[in-house]
Amino acid sequence: MPMVTIDDVRVEVDEGATILDAAGKAGIWIPTLCHHPCLPSAATCRLCMVELDRGNWKQLVTACNYPVRRDIVVSVSSDKAVRTRRGVMELLLARAPESRPLRDLARRMGVEGTPYPTVSQTLRDCILCGLCTRVCEWVLRRAAIGFAGRGPSRAVSAPFRQPAEACIACGACAAICPVGTIQVRVHQDTGEVEISPFKARAKFQTCSECGARMVSVPVTQEVMRKVKNEWEKLRRLVGLCPRCRRKETAARGRTPAEQPQQTR
Amino acid sequence: MTAPRGRRLLAPADVARCREELNSRHSPSGRRVRVCIGTGCAAKGSRRVYELFAEAAKETGAEVSAVTCVGCHGFCERGPIVVVQPGDIFYQRVEEPDVAEIFRETVLGGRVVERLLYEDPVTAAKARTAGEIPFYRVQQRVVLAQNGVIDPRSIEEYIAAGGYSALVKVLTGMTPEETLREVERSGLRGRGGGGFPTGRKWRSCRDAHGEPKYVICNGDEGDPGAFMDRSIMEGNPHAVLEGMIIGAYAIGSSQGYIYVRNEYPLAVEHLKEAIRQGREWELLGESILGTEFSFDVRINRGGGAFVCGESTALMASLEGRPGEPRAKYVHTVECGLWDRPTNLNNVETWANVPAIINRGSEWFASTGTERSKGTKVFSLVGQVVNTGLVEVPMGITLRRIIEEIGGGVKGGKAFKAVQTGGPSGGCIPAQYLDTPVDFDELTKLGSMMGSGGMIVMDEDTCMVGMARYFLNFLRDESCGKCTPCREGLAQMVFILDRITHGEGQPGDVERLADLGVLLEGAALCALGKSAANPVMSTVRYFRDEYDAHILERRCPAKKCRGLFRYRIVAEACKACGICLKNCPAEAITGQKKVVHVIDQGKCTLCGACLDKCPFDAVVKV
Repeated sequence: MPMVTIDDVRVEVDEGATILDAAGKAGIWIPTLCHHPCLPSAATCRLCMVELDRGNWKQLVTACNYPVRRDIVVSVSSDKAVRTRRGVMELLLARAPESRPLRDLARRMGVEGTPYPTVSQTLRDCILCGLCTRVCEWVLRRAAIGFAGRGPSRAVSAPFRQPAEACIACGACAAICPVGTIQVRVHQDTGEVEISPFKARAKFQTCSECGARMVSVPVTQEVMRKVKNEWEKLRRLVGLCPRCRRKETAARGRTPAEQPQQTR
Repeated sequence: MTAPRGRRLLAPADVARCREELNSRHSPSGRRVRVCIGTGCAAKGSRRVYELFAEAAKETGAEVSAVTCVGCHGFCERGPIVVVQPGDIFYQRVEEPDVAEIFRETVLGGRVVERLLYEDPVTAAKARTAGEIPFYRVQQRVVLAQNGVIDPRSIEEYIAAGGYSALVKVLTGMTPEETLREVERSGLRGRGGGGFPTGRKWRSCRDAHGEPKYVICNGDEGDPGAFMDRSIMEGNPHAVLEGMIIGAYAIGSSQGYIYVRNEYPLAVEHLKEAIRQGREWELLGESILGTEFSFDVRINRGGGAFVCGESTALMASLEGRPGEPRAKYVHTVECGLWDRPTNLNNVETWANVPAIINRGSEWFASTGTERSKGTKVFSLVGQVVNTGLVEVPMGITLRRIIEEIGGGVKGGKAFKAVQTGGPSGGCIPAQYLDTPVDFDELTKLGSMMGSGGMIVMDEDTCMVGMARYFLNFLRDESCGKCTPCREGLAQMVFILDRITHGEGQPGDVERLADLGVLLEGAALCALGKSAANPVMSTVRYFRDEYDAHILERRCPAKKCRGLFRYRIVAEACKACGICLKNCPAEAITGQKKVVHVIDQGKCTLCGACLDKCPFDAVVKV
């Protein structure tokens, strides 16, 4: 197993693990923003830059996706690495100066503000980390949202900025958004859930027992699609709210052990 | 040109036989008219010139064996270019009315039309052939050797001129390993910008695990003012194909892609035709020339994003995804297109390959400097007398390119700097003009070879404005994927805008430099990493201009609006009243026989007075 020496701490990691994995193992914190362990790395925020010692020269690399293939020496606290991470954070702060989560992260990095003015337009502090687009594409397999535009006019958007047909209003994008740009809105009057700002709306699924609101209808349908027709008990459970589901299970007096759990 | 269309070359020996046959058909004294239909000449109407020649030839019948279209000669400044054989008489700036005269005098009569020859601006000597023109004399043409000689749409002409002999040589006498070693020994380095040793790249790709392997030709040339690859693809597409087939043979690939930007319709057309002919002649497809080696090529047209010239973005685009780069910690030779080993080279790199195989690696390596071998095509543009495409040996000095080939700066002005390597290259000032042009020397000066753009700037160019122009271009072309490039460039353009509007603040230069360092270290791809080069190099060499803008609110080149004023020179003013009438702000006062004066308080700095004054009495101060 290759050995990673990271700020003088030595850890062994599996081949193909990233520097970020090694840092985690070594107990060294590296700030990240666009990284999520469940998603393929995109290395877009550039906040996790560390300095890789290549013997006769040093190179700045992103910790989140640099694969460890042999013994390497990495510095997280070198002057250059710290300066670079600070610089990136300052640029992000200039983009979204009002974002509290971003400011909290900046403070943790020791960055207390930005020397730059706000020059790019943002939608609700979006920092374009791409977690939402990746979770939609790689976990939900829907790709209902993606990047539109280029350079400074880049933005996360549903196709043609219209409510996306592919969106099942599951809210994964909102849950994963690190800065709260994406929000789930509940419309009590119409009984709909909306993923803002993408304008996608869907009816709430109501519990077939008690009528309580649960997830959106398309999410239930998506789950149903993956449950075999003959598993009737499970199909029934999907239509119940957690509370009624517990009741139902208790009434049967046993856990449905022979039945598979919901996929994924 | 009566060889049957679609003849099949079923064995390597057929190529040589076919060549002999083709060459025996035209007599050496055969008359030929070659009309350039490269984009530069075509824009000046050369297609019509070609049609007129063809009509004239048809009328006279047997007298003339051929009127052909040829690719770019490189001397686009003087287009449309027509070369008449015998004698290779080089006519420039040929227009429609000239056709009849050329045909009557030269083609039929064998006399030279003096007025259409190139005239040396200094000595006034007329040049009859291309070789006598200084623009061509210093050049050494390897890649562009057949440009302007053969019809790019005819595989026969390519074969007759010695084409596909390198492929035959490789398929009959060399193993893939030997082919690879030949390229390695030649010292060829990637012509697209990075300058990575081509042989090493090929070997990494060959040794990489995974099948199939792909080869890609990068024809997504997007630098403003650069057209090297365009001219090669338009003027000699078969050379690119032959290079790719040889490369595929060495690497062990059976599928290739040519990625061309859609803004190059002629290049797409010629490449398509070349591929069609190649397939028909059994030079592409299953069992090439009857051997066991199979290889085919597809064309993909790019949508015009500058960033797609970056290898990983190009591959993403080929896969049908948005053209955005990704990290290259695992190289594309191991994991490229569709996660397979992929070897990507630039058009010019591929076009060099046949010459290396034909004439040997030693011959190739005998040209150039220690670490940069062979020749390089540059597109010489900007404030230079002779603009166009030039191919020079590596190691030639910038001075020779600009002064001897380019004929010096336009209008007798003083040279200020030359921007090499496209928008993300850097500028090189006059004191480094004697630097030999090679990959490493240019990098040392804070610029780069890039793909070969060379923009000459004269004393009237504001370097801050120039940096702003390129940064603005790069900001617009940034894909926006990574923070430093997207946000950093926007910040830099913001600061540069401020400086050029006379609102610069002390410390702005340092802020720019900080951002430049950040971009170089933290950006995701080479585009972002090099994007700050125009600023970094102008700060390095023209710091005084930045200071003049910021501290004195003055533009030394008098280009930035608001940072200079217009004044009427009393001695030169004839009190004609033209400026007075044309001033939209009514800022000029004066009467007949009374020298006019600009009221600086009212002047909006529109420059109308300067444009209208017939006596050059209005000056910028």
